[in-house]
Formats: sequence, structure tokens, C-alpha cells
Amino acid sequence: MMNRTLFIDPGRCIGCQACVAACRECDSHRGRTMIHLDYVDEGNSAAAMPTVCMHCEDPVAPCAQVCPADAIPVGPDGIVHTAAKERCIGCENCVHACPFGVPKLDLTEMLQYKCDMCYDRTSRGLSTMCATVCPTGAIFYGSYEELLADRPHSRASDLFGFSDSLVQTGCAMVVPAGRESVSVPGGYV
Amino acid sequence: MKRRARPQGWLSDVDPTASAIGSTAAVLLTAAIYAGSRGLRNFDAALIGYATATIFLAFGVTYRYVVWVQSPPTRRYLVKGWKAFLSWRNFRRFPTLVPKAVVSNLAFQTFIKERGMGRWAAHQALFWGVVGATLITFPLTFGWIHFRSAAGTESHYEMYIFGIKTVTFDALSWLGWLTFRGLDITAVLVIAGCAYFLWRRFRDREAMTGQHLAHDLMPLIALVAISVTGLLLTFSSALLKGRYYDFLALLHMGTVVLTLVFIPFGKFFHVIQRPASIGVQIYKRTSLEDKGPFHCKRCGAAFETQTYVEDLEETMSELGLGFEGWAEHCPRCKRVERGIAYRAHVKEGF
Repeated sequence: MMNRTLFIDPGRCIGCQACVAACRECDSHRGRTMIHLDYVDEGNSAAAMPTVCMHCEDPVAPCAQVCPADAIPVGPDGIVHTAAKERCIGCENCVHACPFGVPKLDLTEMLQYKCDMCYDRTSRGLSTMCATVCPTGAIFYGSYEELLADRPHSRASDLFGFSDSLVQTGCAMVVPAGRESVSVPGGYV
Repeated sequence: MKRRARPQGWLSDVDPTASAIGSTAAVLLTAAIYAGSRGLRNFDAALIGYATATIFLAFGVTYRYVVWVQSPPTRRYLVKGWKAFLSWRNFRRFPTLVPKAVVSNLAFQTFIKERGMGRWAAHQALFWGVVGATLITFPLTFGWIHFRSAAGTESHYEMYIFGIKTVTFDALSWLGWLTFRGLDITAVLVIAGCAYFLWRRFRDREAMTGQHLAHDLMPLIALVAISVTGLLLTFSSALLKGRYYDFLALLHMGTVVLTLVFIPFGKFFHVIQRPASIGVQIYKRTSLEDKGPFHCKRCGAAFETQTYVEDLEETMSELGLGFEGWAEHCPRCKRVERGIAYRAHVKEGF
């Protein structure tokens, strides 16, 4: 995982949508939210799941690999950026190849949009918009050491299992202590 | 899964296929210049810098294009897009699909209008300025077009295309003015477009996020430099009686040559890539008719087409990603399923 990154803890999420609203305020994608907030068992439970771009490290950015226009740049710091506006041809490969379901596409603008970990803020040492406003700490921005200092009984995992494949990411999920060496399941496909 | 190791040394990075095809393109252009200028008889030696840079451009652009289309996703779209385009059956079913896409996506770039009217207007000025300048400059520097003063007249010129006499016009008429001021008009259009985008690059935080000097600012600066030095040539001949013209001509050629050589490596390459969006549009539209939409394996909602998902899975498999099956679920279901799995296996019942 990256040195300073996002840690997601769905167990703390109360589904308030503050992250969604804050993300929308960002200058780099005005009025459009990059974070997803899904209700896992709608109608039966309040459980909610915030999803940001996990900035896949290994394999490196599948979204960028399946892009036929080489439009998605991956920075030396591991940040997988939104597709370059002049290159995106609107094919949606990134949207459907991402195992986390992160990128969005606006076909009228022929533009892909995805979370770039608030690059305009984090590249200057600031926290992401979503982590800044999250009232419960379900989205935490910082180093792993800072997370452990804040939550001594928690650990984090940056390894996800999809079918028989493992995906290592730049962001991480908060897991209970003792479970950090096991991959987080990507779903039931 | 490990990342692919980069080959060592710059020579091992050279693609032999792309080099061969790029060299062929450069040789073909050279031959076309020779033939089109009637064995260099109509070739203006003073413009040799432009022609040489264009030959290098032909090599560079072709080289990069060949490297680009070799990646699994690009190759797949290239083959499928051309197949759909060249199909007579598709042409009969959707006769207006391609012309509409070309006019809307390539000529008028209506998708940029959705991003903002100012951006669209500026891009149109820039686009038509560059297209106009290219159509005027390239044939001139290749010796494909040249002008001669008409015998027995004071201000009449004859235009020759590939050595064949076409029209005779009065330099003082509106056609003459338009012909000899064509590059000035395109320069004004380019400067107007670039000025807007430069302003945006310094003032708009959306544009400023993640921008790079070489990738985002240099192309604009280069276009402004070409246009301004080009206009200075007119300024010199019209108002300074040709003073400093030779120096300005060299300066202008320097800016043009550097920009032409830069095209294959930088942002300008999107001009070559953009037509791929037409291929994608034809491919998606025709594959929807052929096999119908694809339905999410979990929620059943229709998204994309059967052919598209099959092709994407093949691309993912070719890239060795290993989770092709996930492409059969819509993005929301992927997220929800991950949430359900987290709730069941990581933090039970959160």
C-alpha cells in the first residue's frame, strides 16, 4: 500500500453520504461525485459501503491496461488518475474491467471520471475531501502507523481476492487484528 | 501476479515492426514529394526544413501508431471497428452512422460542448486554425502547390497543383487576399483558441490539477509561437518593408520544425488517436443489433452488449488479469457484492 493512503472501514459507515457531498465540491470535478456509497442490504440493514479507487498496484491499474487509448496515466507515486480528456474515446473498458466497480463514464462528454485520491489536495499534503468530512472515521486518510495509533485493535489489508487472482492495492480496507494476512474477498463471482 | 519487467537498454525498447512501417511511411512521403513537385522542379529549397521535419513526422507518427495498436485492447477495437465499418450489411442498416459520427465527433467535437461552451468554442478555433494551416502549408512545402505570376499582367497569379495549371486570380481580389492571407487567418484562430486554454491552465483548478509543463503547456506555447512568428512575417512585409524578414523566416521555421518533431511524443498525438472513437461507436452500435445487450449476472440490468463483454473478457485474459468473470457484473453489483462478502467474512454483521 502507499505511504499515506485511504483506509476504508465499512463497519463504521453510517451511510450519511457526507463523503459523496464533499467529493462533489472538489474543484477538479465540480458537481460530480467520484466516491460511491452503496447500501449493501437495502431495506433490511443500514449497512453501507463507501468505495473509492483502490489504486491497484499489482497488477498495475487494470483500468489503464484495458484502455485502448492509453488515456489513464499512473503516476510514479502510484496514483491512478482520471483518463486524459483529450484521449478518452468513451469505450467504457475501464468501467467494466475494474474489479471494484469504480470508474464512471459520461458518454455525452465522452469522459471517464474516477477517484484520483483528491490529487489536487493530497499532492500538497492535505487530506482527501471524503476523509475530512467522514463523521465516523469510516474513511481514514494517513499512514498505516497513524491508523494503528488511532485504532490499536484494527489492522489493514491491501490484498483482495477475485476468483483465483489476487489484487494488491495502494489503498486498504480496515480489518480486525489477526486478519491482516488474509486477503479481503472481492465478492462471490 | 508480478509486474512485467522492463527490457534493459534503449535499443531493446525499439520496436522493429514499427520501425519498418515508420520507415516505409517516410520513404513513401519522400517519393510523393519528389513526384508531386515534378522531380523537385517546383520544390522551394528555402522550405526544405519544413519538408524534412514532415518526413520525420511521418516516421514518428507511424512508429507510435503501430506501437499503440499492438496492445490487446487497441488491436481488438481496431480490428472490430474496421470490420464493422467495412461491412456492406452494416452500411445498409446504418447508412448515416459514420457520416454523423465523423461530423459530430471529429469535425465539430460536440462532446466538448458538454464540458463547457467556452472550451468548445476555443477548441473549434484551435482545430480549424490548425487544419487550415496544415492544408495550406504541407502542399506548399512539398512543392505540390506553387504560384507563378501570369505573363503580361501586373497583379495576376496562376496556381499550379502537382505542376498542373489550375486557376488564375488577381492578387488584389478577395480570392487573392484570402489565398495569400490564409495562414494569417488560421494564425489568429489558433492564437484565440490557445489564449483561452492558456488562461484556463493558469486559472481553472480543474485544469490545473495534475497538469504538466511538457504535456499540457508546451503544446499551447508551441502553437502560439508558430502563429505569432508567422504573423510577424506578414507584419514585416506589410509594414516594415521586409526588414528582419530573413531572421523572422528562420525563427518561424525553427518553431514549426520543433513542433512537428514533437507531435509523435506529446499531447498532439490525440489527433491521430481520436478517430478511434468512430470505430468504437460503430462497433458498439452494430454489436447491439447483432447479439443484443448483456445482462448483469446478479441484478439482470442491461449494460453494454454481449459482443462487448465477450471481447472485454478476451482482452482481460490476454493481459493476464485473471478476474474476467467480474466483467459480467455491473459496477454497482461488484461494489455491493464486495460489501456483502466483507460483512460476511471480514467484519461479521457490521
